[in-house]
Amino acid sequence: MRIETCYFCSSRIYPGHGIQFVRNDCKIFRFCRSKCHAAFKKKKNPRKTKWTKAYRKTAGKELAIDPSFEFEKRRHIPVKYSRELWNKTIEAMKKVEEIRQRRSNNYIMQRLRKGREVEWQRDVREVQRDISLIRSPAAGLKQRQAEEDNTMEVEPETIEVVDSKGRKQIIEAPVMVPAVGEMIEDGGDVEL
Amino acid sequence: MTYKRKKYHHGDTHLKKRWRVRNRKKDLDQIDVDLKEENAEKLLNQNVDLDLPGAAQHYCLHCARYFIDEQALNEHFKTKVHKRRLKALELEPYSIEESERAAGLGSFKLPTKRKIVSQNSNKSDIVDRDGDIVLEEESPNKKKKPDENAT
Repeated sequence: MRIETCYFCSSRIYPGHGIQFVRNDCKIFRFCRSKCHAAFKKKKNPRKTKWTKAYRKTAGKELAIDPSFEFEKRRHIPVKYSRELWNKTIEAMKKVEEIRQRRSNNYIMQRLRKGREVEWQRDVREVQRDISLIRSPAAGLKQRQAEEDNTMEVEPETIEVVDSKGRKQIIEAPVMVPAVGEMIEDGGDVEL
Repeated sequence: MTYKRKKYHHGDTHLKKRWRVRNRKKDLDQIDVDLKEENAEKLLNQNVDLDLPGAAQHYCLHCARYFIDEQALNEHFKTKVHKRRLKALELEPYSIEESERAAGLGSFKLPTKRKIVSQNSNKSDIVDRDGDIVLEEESPNKKKKPDENAT
């Protein structure tokens, strides 16, 4: 007696459960319940159906590649019964299952930890972007301006000028703000 | 329900017929086997079977469909249905072995991607050329005929 696996969701099928479909090329498709059978009849892709094992493994949700999966094998040749071998096998199965369980749990925890990190970064970014919703950027603007006025007393620029006789002079540079009209006049001197 | 309405309602038999097992089309993994060269050759050069559309001479490998003539087949290559099928075949199809691997019988293998091209661009090109040669032999005659008529 064998515990089969479902073609669609890869769950276990115990004797007396489920249904199977034999295609005209002798391939046997076993289904654990009508849900999986119906999905197969609708030609759904198990890799894209979220509740199947195949999806969870292709999408990297669960531990997929690990040496601990290599112990389970399909053995078509019957082994001669010996009590010692049986005992050892049972012990080994328990041990392997324990290791596999631990590794897959660890895998999931690692995955979740990464997600939390990403979430935290996203939160920080959101606060930086939307801080203006909580605290107006104009809050305390006048105070800041007043502070700036106090500290930034505009000092007139000075230029050192050396005369033709070699004397040094310091002249305050006049602040030149060209008027708009002048600029246009300057530019409009072209004669045609 | 009025009497007349009742007369026109025929239930969902037409739907049921479509889902009958004998009306099943080939699955993707079967087509994947067909795509192997030795199988593909056989399918593309089938014997004349008068029961099938176009006597089984114009077959689309990827869609597992028979067409009545070369033109219909070439038109089919341009359709959405065909292009979608090519896309679906790009990934290795799901199989019973994969379902077992997903259940924990051996390490899981991610499906490999490959490039799938319509058969006319490589395989049936030869067939096309053959057809072309035949056409070329015919076409000069056809061209000559109107010329003769004109002169």
